[in-house]
Amino acid sequence: CATVAPPAPDARHWSGRLGLTVLDAAGQAQAQSAVSASFQLDGSPSEGSLSLSTPIGSTLAVLKWQPGHARLEANGTVEEYGSLDALAAAATGTPIPVAALFDWLDGRPTPVPGWTPDLSRIADGRLAAHRTQPPPPAELRLVLDR
Amino acid sequence: DGLSSLEAFVKTAKSGHAEFTQVVTPPPRNGQAQRPKTSSGSFEFSRPNRFRFDYRKPFEQSIVADGETLWLYDADLNQVTARKQAAVLGSTPAALIASAADLATLKRDFELSDDGSKDGLDWVRATPRASDGQLRALRAGFKGDALAQLEIDDSFGQRSVLSFEHMALNAGVPAARFQFKPPQGAAVLRQ
Repeated sequence: CATVAPPAPDARHWSGRLGLTVLDAAGQAQAQSAVSASFQLDGSPSEGSLSLSTPIGSTLAVLKWQPGHARLEANGTVEEYGSLDALAAAATGTPIPVAALFDWLDGRPTPVPGWTPDLSRIADGRLAAHRTQPPPPAELRLVLDR
Repeated sequence: DGLSSLEAFVKTAKSGHAEFTQVVTPPPRNGQAQRPKTSSGSFEFSRPNRFRFDYRKPFEQSIVADGETLWLYDADLNQVTARKQAAVLGSTPAALIASAADLATLKRDFELSDDGSKDGLDWVRATPRASDGQLRALRAGFKGDALAQLEIDDSFGQRSVLSFEHMALNAGVPAARFQFKPPQGAAVLRQ
């Protein structure tokens, strides 16, 4: 079997809860593309995984990426995507900047076109980001486990 | 044995409340064990199909099944998601312990088998009949007729263990406990 690679030196580990709401023209939250789940984010923008679970501990989806590969495992199926961005958009139904999360969660406000991160409460383990482009507008909120 | 304890529990425990501790252990990654996440709170149920989990530590979160809608409220995210219970409840852990009206209803969604006695509990195994679901297997451990532990293995190898303490059965949980009103200002998402 494949030898077990030790995690890359820059591998990070974050866990907590993730809330994503997409707003319609009137600024109302659109139900179908909302996410409210506990998450575990591992690795780095180039190689890592993001898993989403229900409060009671059942995994909803696992996103895995490495150079040239991006895979979504959910509902008993596995789907391949060309990039992490394409994978993230497929998993949540709307584009979210998973690669940038690694910097934002480290307190580095790396700019992402169309997104405005708010790191003012990162010391309390809270991250918010607002998307203006591409429409519709979206709100992403992460609360880290303490 | 476990199966008869489950049958007695489903038949006689019409309602109840308990404290619970939950430990979720993600599957190993790169061959390394993952840190388990512990949370705790209170659990109430009233058969059929009404129950609630109120997580208090380390954060505030509630799951309320009011008989029709399954509400999930996360205080930190200030977000409420609402789903039709019929669409989501069938083969979930909650169905096993709180919402099934009788064993026959349970047997529609789960294959039930006795799983021996261990750690002073009589165990029953429940394997969901739907194969594409999130759940791989479920084990319920009873001390006499009182549910003591629930082990949930999902299809990704994540294990969630709920341990119940001070379980009071047929203690007449008021119906209002299962009505959920989204807090002021929370984003409510009906899916």
